[in-house]
Amino acid sequence: MKFTKRNASRRQVLKGGAAVAGALATPHFFVKNAWAQGECATLGNFPVEGPEVVFGFSVPKTGAYADEGADELRAQELAVEHINNGGGILNTLQPLSLTGQGVLGKKVTYVSGDDQTNPDATRQVARRMIERDGVIMFNGGSSSATAVAAQSLAQELGVVFMNGLTHANETTGKDRRRYGFRQFFNTHMTGLALGPVLAENYGTDRAAFHLTADYNWGHSMSGSIKDATEGEGWSTINRVSTPLGATDYSQFLTAFLNSDADVLVLNHYGNDMVNSVTQAVQFGVRDMQKNGRQVELVVPLYSRLMAQGAGDNIEGVFGTTNWNWSLDNPGAKAFVDSFTDKYGFPPSQAAHTCYVQVILYADACERAGTFYAPEVIRALEGHEYEGDGYNSASLYRAEDHQSFHDVFLVRGKSASERASEFDLLQIVSEVPRSTVEYPVDTFEGELGDYCPTA
Amino acid sequence: MSTETVSGPVRPAAATGTRSMGREALILLVFSAIVLSMPFWLPLLGGYEGLATKIMVWAIFAVGFDILLGFTGLLSFGHAAFFGGAAYVTGYVFRDHTSEIIVAFIASQLGVLVLAAAIGFLSLRRTGIYFSILTLAFAEMMFAAALAIFAPFTGGYDGLTMRTTPTLFGMPMQGLYVFYMGAIMLIFGFAVARMIKNSAFGLMLRSIKENPMRLQYTGVNVWAYKMAAFMISAHFAGVAGFLMVVYEPYVATKFLHWSTSGEVVIMSVIGGVGTLFGPIIGAGFLMYFENVVQAAIGEQWKLVLGLVFVLVVIFLPGGFVQLGAMIWRATGHKVRERRHNVPDMEPDTQRERNLG
Amino acid sequence: MDPNALFLQLLTGLQLGAIYALIALGLTLIFGTLGFVNFAHGALYVIAIYAAVTVAANTNFLLAIILVPALLFAIGVAFERGLIRHFYTRPHTDQILITFGLAIVVEELMKWIFGANNIPFTLPEWGSGLMVFYSDWSAVPAVPVFQEAPSLWVPFIEGFVTYQFWRVVLIAVSLVTVAGLFALLQFTRFGLVVRAGMRDPEMLRFLGINIAQKFAIVVGLGAAIAGIAGVFGGPITQVTPGVGMALLVPSFLVVVIGGMGSLSGALIAAILIGMALSFSAEIANLQQIVVYLIAVVVLLVRPRGLFGKKGVFE
Repeated sequence: MKFTKRNASRRQVLKGGAAVAGALATPHFFVKNAWAQGECATLGNFPVEGPEVVFGFSVPKTGAYADEGADELRAQELAVEHINNGGGILNTLQPLSLTGQGVLGKKVTYVSGDDQTNPDATRQVARRMIERDGVIMFNGGSSSATAVAAQSLAQELGVVFMNGLTHANETTGKDRRRYGFRQFFNTHMTGLALGPVLAENYGTDRAAFHLTADYNWGHSMSGSIKDATEGEGWSTINRVSTPLGATDYSQFLTAFLNSDADVLVLNHYGNDMVNSVTQAVQFGVRDMQKNGRQVELVVPLYSRLMAQGAGDNIEGVFGTTNWNWSLDNPGAKAFVDSFTDKYGFPPSQAAHTCYVQVILYADACERAGTFYAPEVIRALEGHEYEGDGYNSASLYRAEDHQSFHDVFLVRGKSASERASEFDLLQIVSEVPRSTVEYPVDTFEGELGDYCPTA
Repeated sequence: MSTETVSGPVRPAAATGTRSMGREALILLVFSAIVLSMPFWLPLLGGYEGLATKIMVWAIFAVGFDILLGFTGLLSFGHAAFFGGAAYVTGYVFRDHTSEIIVAFIASQLGVLVLAAAIGFLSLRRTGIYFSILTLAFAEMMFAAALAIFAPFTGGYDGLTMRTTPTLFGMPMQGLYVFYMGAIMLIFGFAVARMIKNSAFGLMLRSIKENPMRLQYTGVNVWAYKMAAFMISAHFAGVAGFLMVVYEPYVATKFLHWSTSGEVVIMSVIGGVGTLFGPIIGAGFLMYFENVVQAAIGEQWKLVLGLVFVLVVIFLPGGFVQLGAMIWRATGHKVRERRHNVPDMEPDTQRERNLG
Repeated sequence: MDPNALFLQLLTGLQLGAIYALIALGLTLIFGTLGFVNFAHGALYVIAIYAAVTVAANTNFLLAIILVPALLFAIGVAFERGLIRHFYTRPHTDQILITFGLAIVVEELMKWIFGANNIPFTLPEWGSGLMVFYSDWSAVPAVPVFQEAPSLWVPFIEGFVTYQFWRVVLIAVSLVTVAGLFALLQFTRFGLVVRAGMRDPEMLRFLGINIAQKFAIVVGLGAAIAGIAGVFGGPITQVTPGVGMALLVPSFLVVVIGGMGSLSGALIAAILIGMALSFSAEIANLQQIVVYLIAVVVLLVRPRGLFGKKGVFE
């Protein structure tokens, strides 16, 4: 074999080495000089200089959850407007330190970016907002995969991340972070709320078949529903993972048709849910009898935006939601009215959670009297508040940064029951906070330090 | 073997190795100065610290890719496998074993070695288009496997998150330290690539690009040379993947996705394949475009990027480097003639025949 | 396995394979004759689904069935005459790069015009609903949803099974398209030249046959098949800009598994992959990589693919 590699000149190597050595000697005179006062050596973008403070909003503008993302951004813009000028739940939130004139005397501005519902893109967007745009806090997202990625980055860089829509247990369980907070409920709470209702309506000896979006939320959701329904006496025939963003579910639906299961649980969200529900109906799942009983569909996590996409296919299908615009309480009304005034249609649950999160963060800064993150975090931990859109008070648990509040059992309305094109979900019951509250040691996890750590 | 067997287009001067050492040193020096001072000048253009580090990561990737595409004429659509593979190995080491980057570096390179040997062995059985599609298929298989059967190890779609800060001999590596580490790796990688370019080995690679048939007939083991080039470029990709995880303690499954391979193809072509400088410029351009220009263009930035890419392929096969040369010439300077840099194998099917 | 379950999985496998087959046929046709790897073939499919959904929503689905393949044929011809033609003298890698670039441009263009989200593709009235397969009609419940559905007698199954009618339509259309293409290549002079070109383009050139003229038509034909796939497959693969790239990679594998430039190989490989996807659906871990596994195994055993001939485009 002629594999002659002539000795790459030794002198050449030496020259290269010299250049490298020279480079090493370059003094590092731009190690960040933002030495902050207080307990932490360096800390995100604190202190805030100038008359303005910047918030960052990373939301999915493309991909399976793009609708959610668009609605989140609307709500975030509205929240900034209300923080700067008053209005919305600033009129109902109790306790409240915000005055409607910005935060700590500074006007709030914002930057936004597309997280593509992709953890890698999320980190890229967040880093850009933190390092270049100097945001003091960021918020948004419509996926637990991105939420977990964003929280980790928040902890590394010392910038608080207020989660948007994220429903997996991991976000405030295994992957909880000191710099991350979640207002949204989780799959465990969905299971607690949904299990009894499913047993009551469909019986206690059903056999379930799960199709599950293949990422942390899907598995979390499927696990919680399995636990909850098996607790009621159901059996679980199979749990099949489907790729996130899959468009054709025929092979999985065929597997369901061929199984002994008589309930199809679709652990999908966003476009995935619209596609899987629509195709399940096209496959005749809802016209079908198995084991001598009507086959039922369950969509554990509902949103109005999805319901819009799925149309009549979700009539009568049970699920849960974190919040719905049809709620009748002062906080919900204040938010829905100002949102509808501005955009012409009511907000989704994704919009609600982002809106509340941004305002809760701003309020915590005001209460802490500083943007210094450890103090702001302490102001949020164990904070009990009301008037954020629920009928009763909510609590930010200090130990895992999960907010506890009422959650809602809903069912898809039929065409004749709808009062408007947005009136798609009927609230079957309000599940009180006490029912869905669970001990903090249900999930293991470490919040980490008040100072940024990787 | 001697240089006489190669005739025609390859400039003998490039291969003799007698080229002035001073010139090489000067090139390296200027290059080092530009790279190392990046944190000073990049912010003036609207960049930021993290962007500089990312440019280092991708520039290393692109330099290695140029050894394969530019020197040897093999278009791999599967280099994400090495980038992502190394990133995962690095991630495990950081998560489960030690935060020491030396250990992670060695482990990740061993991983790439095995992976590149396997994929290279299977893909290099074929040439041309087959090679591109095979590499694409293998990388996509790894991506799918990372999402499915290996999900317990890779974290599936969620990726792998570490809670450690990487350390070098106990010293935490963060922020600018990572940048400098990347910069040194890039300069070193660039020097190695220049050396390969000016060596007999590099000459062989370019001869393979020009006419593999003729070399085969003269008894050269073309396959071994291709394999060597493939392995070297895979290691560059591996170093980039490793550095990516040192920079951000997170491994995304997207690192294995074909779009990662696509990105390095785009930056190489836009910059100017075969020139080493070109792909580095391309890497800088693409990162800058993705992160800074994007904000100015808005949602359509990818469309603009796609158009730029298409226009470059059609009208500027030598990329930005060719554009630079054209401008240089237009302003009355003399430019050495350079054959255009895209792989020069003619699309003549007869040629590739019997090579399988 | 009980016969009804088997029957359903076979149908699903056929239906999954049908779309791959339509896209792979176009790819392999273009590759076989022109030696041109068209990374933009998925983009042609994307253009087709958006054209189809637009035409169908504004006028009539039947019109889309006629218009879209014709439109795609025209696009294909224009694509060849305007762009590809200039790349015959450029290296292979340039051909891949230009079509890869075009694929990005088309995807982003569609995203810009139509948005990144799914556009609902409403099925025509005649194509919606279920189809009933029965061995014993008396087993079919006496409700309109079954009684009024299209039905077909099938031996071997027990009682009856239902399947989405549109997916059956897709299978049927694919079969007709494939048969049409084979007939065209088998029984016309044009087909003769194309087949000869796939065998040995060099020889055709020596014989003085101007294959270049035929090239535009071949690309147009490949695009038109993507058009047919778009009209009938769009409601199933969903109308989103990313679907082209998502389908392209498996379709490439279909072509490679079948043997580059082999039409029947592509067809068989497509069905093979469809079946593999269907029958592995419950083994989630395997399902997502089964396509690649098949590709690797086939290529290790037969490096030229199932039906690749020695000496053809290597």
